[in-house]
Amino acid sequence: MYLFVVEFPTPSVPLRGPCLPQQKRLQKELMSLLKEPPAGVTVDVDTAHTKLTEWVVHMEGAAGTLYEGEKFQLQFKFSPKYPFDSPEVIFVGDNIPVHPHIYSNGHICLSILTEDWSPALSVQAICLSIISMLSSCKEKKRPPDNSYYVKTCSANPKKTKWWYHDDTV
Amino acid sequence: MIVLKRSWRKYSIDNLEQVMKVKIKSWTGVATWRWVANDDSCGICRMPFDGCCSDCRLPGDDCPLVWGQCSHCFHIHCIMKWLQSQQLHQQCPMCRQEWKFKE
Repeated sequence: MYLFVVEFPTPSVPLRGPCLPQQKRLQKELMSLLKEPPAGVTVDVDTAHTKLTEWVVHMEGAAGTLYEGEKFQLQFKFSPKYPFDSPEVIFVGDNIPVHPHIYSNGHICLSILTEDWSPALSVQAICLSIISMLSSCKEKKRPPDNSYYVKTCSANPKKTKWWYHDDTV
Repeated sequence: MIVLKRSWRKYSIDNLEQVMKVKIKSWTGVATWRWVANDDSCGICRMPFDGCCSDCRLPGDDCPLVWGQCSHCFHIHCIMKWLQSQQLHQQCPMCRQEWKFKE
């Protein structure tokens, strides 16, 4: 006589694993950015692995644009509220792109980084926006209020009350 | 063809008791389910709709999906968190239309 007893094993460790909810999404984003990065974009895996909430992304100026051949670094910082709260994104390193919406301290005037943020956006979407912002630039120059802003702003660009007035560049 | 048919019949349920000399005393039916959504995963937490949001542990009725009038769909916990974090406008994360629950 045979008796078939099928029992689903009860896991002794919680199904959630070691991650906080926010980290699951960051892990997924990191994996997809490593697998299929947009052209000219590379994530610094070591920094992201050391601290999942702080990434460095290398970006190359697109061919045929004013930034062709230039290399930039973006720093992403994710708060515990990500993706409900936008990441803090600034240019770092010794080459800050000269652009009418990028301040010499690396702060970027881009509405999806503050009031137009949506949790449906991603690191990849931000990178694409920044690449497109650089690529459509016609003249390399700093924002008109650069020196005043750089002297008076907070270190965190999310604390700036940005006034988005120009959609052309 | 005949051989195949024979070997198939050997293992068919009708003949199981006869061939294997077993008596099935009880059995439990198992079913599968899935949400019928227009996407595979939630645009907010990026977890599959057939799983649960990243705060829950078990998929199903405790972590349901909701639809907006714009037809976009999210885990209820995810969209509620997003709407609660918005002070001025309650917008769909996907299309930025004003978020209204589909009745």
